[in-house]
Amino acid sequence: MKKNRSITFRRTAQIAFLGLFILTILQATYPFHPWIPPELFLWADPLTAIVTQLAGRFFDPVFLIALLVLFSPFVFGRAFCGWICPLGTTIDISDRIIANKNYRSFRKYRSLKTIILVTIVLFALFGIQLSWYMDPLPILWRSLGILGMSFFFLLTDTVLNGFINAGIFPDTVLNIQDKISFALFPVATPRFLMLFLPFFIILGILLLSKISRRFWCRNLCPLGALLGLLSKFSPFQRVVNEESCTSCSICQKKCKMDAIEDDFYSTEKSECILCLNCCKDCPTDAITYKFQSPKTMRSSIDLTRRSFIGTGTAALFGSSLFRLNILNPSGTDRLIRPPGALKEDDFMERCIRCGECVRICATSGGCLQMSLLETGLEGLLTPISKFRIGYCEYNCNLCGQICPTKAIQPLNLEEKQEIKTGTAIFLKDRCIPYRLNEDCIVCEEHCPLPKKAIILEVKEFIDPRTREKRMVSYPYINPDLCTGCGICENKCPLEGEVGIIITREGEGRF
Amino acid sequence: MDRRTFLKTSAIITGVGLMPKHGIFSKEKEVVSLVIVKNGSPAQMADKVFEMLGGVSRFVSRGDYVLIKPNLSWDRSPEYAATTNPELVSAVVTQCYKAGAKKVLIVDNTCNDARRCYKNCQIQEIASKAGADMRFVRDSHFIETDIPGGTNIKHWPIYKEVFEVDKLINMPILKHHSLPQVTIGFKNMMGLLGGNRGRIHRPFPENIVDINRVIVPQLTIVDAIKILRRNGPSGGNLKDVEELNTVIAGTDRVLVDAWSARIFGKDPNTLKYLKLAHEVGMGEIDTEKFKPVTFTY
Repeated sequence: MKKNRSITFRRTAQIAFLGLFILTILQATYPFHPWIPPELFLWADPLTAIVTQLAGRFFDPVFLIALLVLFSPFVFGRAFCGWICPLGTTIDISDRIIANKNYRSFRKYRSLKTIILVTIVLFALFGIQLSWYMDPLPILWRSLGILGMSFFFLLTDTVLNGFINAGIFPDTVLNIQDKISFALFPVATPRFLMLFLPFFIILGILLLSKISRRFWCRNLCPLGALLGLLSKFSPFQRVVNEESCTSCSICQKKCKMDAIEDDFYSTEKSECILCLNCCKDCPTDAITYKFQSPKTMRSSIDLTRRSFIGTGTAALFGSSLFRLNILNPSGTDRLIRPPGALKEDDFMERCIRCGECVRICATSGGCLQMSLLETGLEGLLTPISKFRIGYCEYNCNLCGQICPTKAIQPLNLEEKQEIKTGTAIFLKDRCIPYRLNEDCIVCEEHCPLPKKAIILEVKEFIDPRTREKRMVSYPYINPDLCTGCGICENKCPLEGEVGIIITREGEGRF
Repeated sequence: MDRRTFLKTSAIITGVGLMPKHGIFSKEKEVVSLVIVKNGSPAQMADKVFEMLGGVSRFVSRGDYVLIKPNLSWDRSPEYAATTNPELVSAVVTQCYKAGAKKVLIVDNTCNDARRCYKNCQIQEIASKAGADMRFVRDSHFIETDIPGGTNIKHWPIYKEVFEVDKLINMPILKHHSLPQVTIGFKNMMGLLGGNRGRIHRPFPENIVDINRVIVPQLTIVDAIKILRRNGPSGGNLKDVEELNTVIAGTDRVLVDAWSARIFGKDPNTLKYLKLAHEVGMGEIDTEKFKPVTFTY
């Protein structure tokens, strides 16, 4: 019974941390009054902390929280993976449905995760940030924060609209709908350009369990590899009572991580995530977890010198390739970064593609989208402004407030209102007044600046067909005032190609 | 005196006897169609407007479902005069409930993010306290509506509650706008439209009049407490705000806009949409001929 209680305790902790993680996502919304910082899990992620600071060559004291997680293996081994990591919990939940629970050993792939870790760290030494490809916490943040939230929103909206259309307490349901909107989402369903890439990444991670349980954690997760490396000497460990052990092998088969050696006594501590399943399932209660001198435990280095050197050389060449590659080979002048973004090189080094800025922007303006290849292969999933989808709210500075690595600098509202992300230009072949000589002024009316950056010049126009005279307001831009917020491009009434666009002209980066 | 004569005489006497009273009554309660109130607090002015127009019960009956359409369109706080004065709106809400309204709904299809606008303009907070139902506008709330007699627009998605409410009260704020020069009641109705609203601007006069053919407010109350002189309709500079402390209200929407424009300093006859609205018979435009009843605190 006591054994079952410890499993319940572990599961409760897992659910609680996953809940906390979801809470941090829910709080990343306008109006922004977080009581837990939405960046908490990313700050506490030692891989993000080390790699980002190494690649970006900076120090930010908020990352000191990560030391808690980084030092935990010295006592509790990879307990973080088994008890806290919200991606681990997600995998555990989905494993109940999709995992191949038959015991199959894939030990030879274990060292993959260490190779990934070493590659990421070496790239970071050369100033290239790659951790986001494989770091579990940013992966889960963008999966739940962008995919999960939009899906949930669509679902609730559809259900509630169904009630309204069916006439079941329409007023009450409308009020609930508005309250949900105010607390979690924008009023209109957020739409994203780049949903399928994050979707396939998370789907892939979950489906890998078809091969074996927690395949990701066993073989691929670089954060797990990092914690595993530090777990070798943890005193809190699995201890088997050799007298009562019948070598029935149940523990080995039930182990999520395949961490139990063939003698059933020894444990690969860099793999064990202390899930306690082996204690629970042992028919003779031979297994306990307790503090014991770590010296007695075997430890193996799963990365040979040869593969280390190989990885290092590959990383050197790989990172040189990144360096030699031209940043943003195409569409450079339409690449508008969020207000307060660092200079492009620095930005790339710091951005961990967690999607926090995209998620919070979707609740206020909604211009930020994850890029696919517009910003080059290097810029995959970095935030860029797409003004036909949304625009930068004049009174909003939330993307900078929420960025966990300060790739987008936290600006106060006055600073943000003055920062230039680009400049609007008219496409006179399309713009209505220039093309058709008719009044439009939609861009001018929406310009949020106290002194409008779009100015109207009223000129007389003589229609060549009818010889009629009329006065037409022709808009022009004052580039000194324009901040490139993009509301003009967003609200331009032309369908398809617009008459005014934002370019990077005059953008201010930090 | 036969019975016939008796009945006749008594009827005449009764009639004559009632006449002076009736005469006085009608003189006192002459149907006023336009009032201007100045220099009171927003709540005082709202109350006075209804009092002068013949009581709120003239507009709102017991059990009515009322839609109030203020301007919540911009993410600005009230002092920037880009949105309708929240106290004025809340006083009107209170009056509606006093007259026995079943429900008062406030909506606007905003230009900035709706949640930011509703919050920052303070109408959400203050009018909700008065009991108003604030609602966000969603795409599904619009229905494609035919516009009979529309010269340029034959149909447009319009907020569906417009056709379900018993009464519609239009509460615009008097502001500068570079297209019609000044935005008042007619333009405020754009907040009940869905679709690509930027297209309404071409040609603006015909289109805005077309829209107002199907969206017909029973009462228009113009907030000219603080007006936006330049850089409208979004504003954002306190130097562009001028305090007039005036409320203009009436049942003739053309005349209300005409007088508001006059107060703003524009000749109503130079406003193309207003001239057109007058020509198609929506109301009077001649501010010299049709004078308001005024009251100054």
